[in-house]
Amino acid sequence: MNALITISVLAVLVLYLGLYKANKALLPVTLLGLAVALFFTINHWNVFTGPTFNDMMSYDNFAVAFSGITITSTMLILLLSKGYFEKISDHVAEYYSIILFSLAGILVMVSYHNMTMLFIGIEIMSVSLYILAGIRKQDFASNEAALKYFLMGAFSTGFLLFGVALIYGAAHSFDLEAIKMHLETNLQTGQAISPLFYTGVVLMAVGMAFKVGAAPFHFWTPDVYEGSPSLITAFMSTVVKTAGFAAFLRLFATCFYPLHDFWMPVILVITIITLFAGNITALYQNNFKRMLAWSSISHAGYMLFAIVSLGSEASYGVFVYAIAYSAASIIAFAGLVLMQANTGSDSFDSFNGLGRKNPFLAFTLTVAMLSLAGIPLTAGFIGKFIMFSNALSSMHTWLVVLAVINAVISIFYYFRVIVAMYFKDAERAELEIPLNFKVVLAISVVATILIGIWPAFLPNVI
Amino acid sequence: MIALVWLVPLLPLIGFLVNGLGRNVLSKGVLGFIGSAVVLGSFIISVLIFNELHSSPQAAHVIPLFDWIQAGNFKVPFSFQVDGLSAIMLLIITGIGFLIHVYSTGYMHYDAGFAKFFAYLNLFIFFMLLLVLGSNYVVMFIGWEGVGLCSYLLIGFWFTNSAYASAAKKAFVMNRIGDLGFLIAVFLIFTTFGSIEFTEVFSKADGPGIGAGMLTLITILLFVGATGKSAQVPLFTWLPDAMAGPTPVSALIHAATMVTAGIYMIARSNILFTLAPYTLDIVAVIGIVTALLAAAIAITQTDIKKVLAYSTVSQLGYMFLGLGVGAFTGSFFHVITHAFFKALLFLGAGSVIHGMSNEQDMRLMGGLRSKLPVTFWTMLAGTIAIAGLPPFSGFFSKDEILAHAYEHNKLLWVLGVIGAMLTSFYMFRMLFLTFSGKFRGTHEQEHHAHESPSSMTIPLVILAILSVAGGLLNVPEALGGSQWLHEFLSPVFAASTASAAHGEPMDHATEFMLMAISVGGALVSLVIAYFRYGKSGHVPAPDFGPRSFFAKLSYHKFYIDEFYDALIRKPLDAVSGFLFSVVDKTGIDGLVNGLGKGTVETSKGLRLLQTGNIGFYIFMMVIGILAILVYSFIKI
Repeated sequence: MNALITISVLAVLVLYLGLYKANKALLPVTLLGLAVALFFTINHWNVFTGPTFNDMMSYDNFAVAFSGITITSTMLILLLSKGYFEKISDHVAEYYSIILFSLAGILVMVSYHNMTMLFIGIEIMSVSLYILAGIRKQDFASNEAALKYFLMGAFSTGFLLFGVALIYGAAHSFDLEAIKMHLETNLQTGQAISPLFYTGVVLMAVGMAFKVGAAPFHFWTPDVYEGSPSLITAFMSTVVKTAGFAAFLRLFATCFYPLHDFWMPVILVITIITLFAGNITALYQNNFKRMLAWSSISHAGYMLFAIVSLGSEASYGVFVYAIAYSAASIIAFAGLVLMQANTGSDSFDSFNGLGRKNPFLAFTLTVAMLSLAGIPLTAGFIGKFIMFSNALSSMHTWLVVLAVINAVISIFYYFRVIVAMYFKDAERAELEIPLNFKVVLAISVVATILIGIWPAFLPNVI
Repeated sequence: MIALVWLVPLLPLIGFLVNGLGRNVLSKGVLGFIGSAVVLGSFIISVLIFNELHSSPQAAHVIPLFDWIQAGNFKVPFSFQVDGLSAIMLLIITGIGFLIHVYSTGYMHYDAGFAKFFAYLNLFIFFMLLLVLGSNYVVMFIGWEGVGLCSYLLIGFWFTNSAYASAAKKAFVMNRIGDLGFLIAVFLIFTTFGSIEFTEVFSKADGPGIGAGMLTLITILLFVGATGKSAQVPLFTWLPDAMAGPTPVSALIHAATMVTAGIYMIARSNILFTLAPYTLDIVAVIGIVTALLAAAIAITQTDIKKVLAYSTVSQLGYMFLGLGVGAFTGSFFHVITHAFFKALLFLGAGSVIHGMSNEQDMRLMGGLRSKLPVTFWTMLAGTIAIAGLPPFSGFFSKDEILAHAYEHNKLLWVLGVIGAMLTSFYMFRMLFLTFSGKFRGTHEQEHHAHESPSSMTIPLVILAILSVAGGLLNVPEALGGSQWLHEFLSPVFAASTASAAHGEPMDHATEFMLMAISVGGALVSLVIAYFRYGKSGHVPAPDFGPRSFFAKLSYHKFYIDEFYDALIRKPLDAVSGFLFSVVDKTGIDGLVNGLGKGTVETSKGLRLLQTGNIGFYIFMMVIGILAILVYSFIKI
């Protein structure tokens, strides 16, 4: 709770700093505040006694773990933003502030214990994101991204909210525990569960699938990711996606678990469509940023595995996968931002010959691509491994076969970057890599390799 | 001291690491010193171990180091076994190994790969020690593969010469064929006996439930492994080619130690072989065929190292003959004496090559006796020893094998004596061609020819003394000896001695007669060689010069390489070419590329769904939602 309060106050504080033109203080203050919030979060570790605030919130280890990842990822992304926002807007303070508000919403999303809190968290996050996507006021693409995101987001929120209402109508409660109890007692006593409830479950599934960018509700993703400023895209594809999965998992793993047989086939089909749509479309992209957007869709497919095959390892799997995916994506977006700033292009060709001129950047990008492709000795492999073994232990053999085929397909487009960097020559100048980028790249690469070779480093916490 | 046996292989391993890692840092003097010193250290420990073992005889000491593999009921302890057999092997490997290291400091002094050479040599010693020390088949196999690797690396030491590189490849491939046999044998041993530890396997060998058929199969497969490593028919052709390596390597690996690994392995598993008499017959036949074939090739070769290489193959054949007729001690005795005189002969040949500025063709030598006196006298000792003339060491060991062969089967003995005559002939032929007569090389070579430095001649002298006196280890009773080696090794071969059927021991008169015949034969060969090459100064014809039919066969190694080429390599190449051009190129590649193209085409099409039109997106979403809702209504 302290973390949430810290971040909310911090957001307001940053606005005031902007008002008094203390632009230089923005980033340090934000990072410091986030560090304090991270400290408060970790302090909650293993002290969970039960839901708090009239059972509205539940700061259990699950919440702590995902709050930890999202806050850390946000810090890394903000560290990349030094000097970035100044270039595209005059209202720098607002950037930080809105990102922080969004993060506050995310903390609610990962710790809710009540449907209303889920809805409020999602909306705080989403509304902030609509603004962030369109923050480049003069840029047509940015405006288009914001509008698309908003229209479709509003559309899907309708379904989510409708689902909540139907469930309330059937179970007479917003409380996760109460809803679960309702289901269990009905199933035990043989009483029929109201069709309202079933409909509510699928509508909520649709709403959540939209938020995490699963097919066929993914159409907003490439357009919005491409139109938004790159760092905002990085934020959306890592922090927001992780939070979406945390919320999705908490809802379906605890609350709707008794109806697993009913909703599992729906999620299974969504997973398969998502994998194929993401990977196959990514194949034909010539633009690095757009490729990353499609790749983020395919990764949503892999993370959905945890929900399809709920097991003891599901939360751990999403936890590891989210870390692996976030670390690799942050590296990729850092490379993208550097590339755009220096060459103004984000096509694969702009990476030609990077291996010779910027060996460190090329190395980190290689590690990131290998991790995204799930090659052993990187965190991505461990994430996929846990997901797949989890699915196998719940007998989803065919799902794993399809997923492996997709992993093979994905190697093609991830390796295009590596091939461009090392095997294609081009006359190019050396990119200048500022210190803050070096720090972020180093942290992310170390995390990726460390988890890859020593997965026990992340204890099975949840 | 026996408990410290792990130090013996550890020291060369340290030497390998230091020399390998410090190859660009350390000076040649330091590199050579470290390389030799670690082997000397191992030798000293080996001597101490030997002493302890000698004073308190016990069947076998098994020293466990750590559990290496443990999976279900499959257990591989990393442990060493010290008994008479391995103790003597330790002495040979580290003792001769040390001499050859010292020799190499002189021989390789001007080579650019000096450090690499010593690193490889140390690594070889390490693996060879592992091979003989392992207390189970798996540790032995590690050593077995390790020495194969080092052999490959050292044969191809001058790999920029493509002929040398292919010689290395040939050795490796041939060895792999044998290794496969060995590996399958180890699997079968595990499934049959439930263990791979020597002590357990051997104690169960004649127990109930072990079928004779299974034992025969296991021993034949083990023998296949031995034919690869010890260069027997049909896998012997790699050894002559292996002479591409530096001469010290030929002496150490391809004469004294590695190639005897097959004999060591069979001697180690003697009880299995004794219980499989069919296999023993095969071993004996292959042994004598190899001995004769290689000797018949050696009599016309003109490259000094090739003569020695074929001689090695031939002598290894004798050892297998000995194993096959149940003369385990005799065979192992020959391993020891052969290690002395063959290492000596190779090092002597190396000294000649060194003095002749890297000339190996004997047709271009001659008259070197006065220029390389130490080399000549030591090589003479080696030649007499290998020819089997008393009282030099080769006489005793070869005679013991022949005596057993006589007991076993008279024909084998006759063939063995013929082989011994050939041996005497080609060895003295080599000696006369090299050292007597007139110098036939270029003027520069003649001017330059010189005796080698003392780092090379001292090992020669030591080995010469050993070659002369080595026979004393096992003087037969008929000559008033005590058969010390026989006694020392008796615990190792006890089970075989007990279970093999024993006829009347041979009377001394027969034994003297056999000795007289083989010595007489060797002397006759010596005289023929002297008249042909020593006195009349006959020089072999040039490569494509006129030769009689048999000489041509022998000179061209009975066309065995060409035969293998036609019978195995060409058909394999043809099949491989077919698989590559038809199955792989069109079939598999077509399928794979087709899949790839198909996926990309799908991608092209699927991409168009992303129209950018929100109406369309929402339309798709609604279709999705409708589908889910329909599913739900059916399901409820």
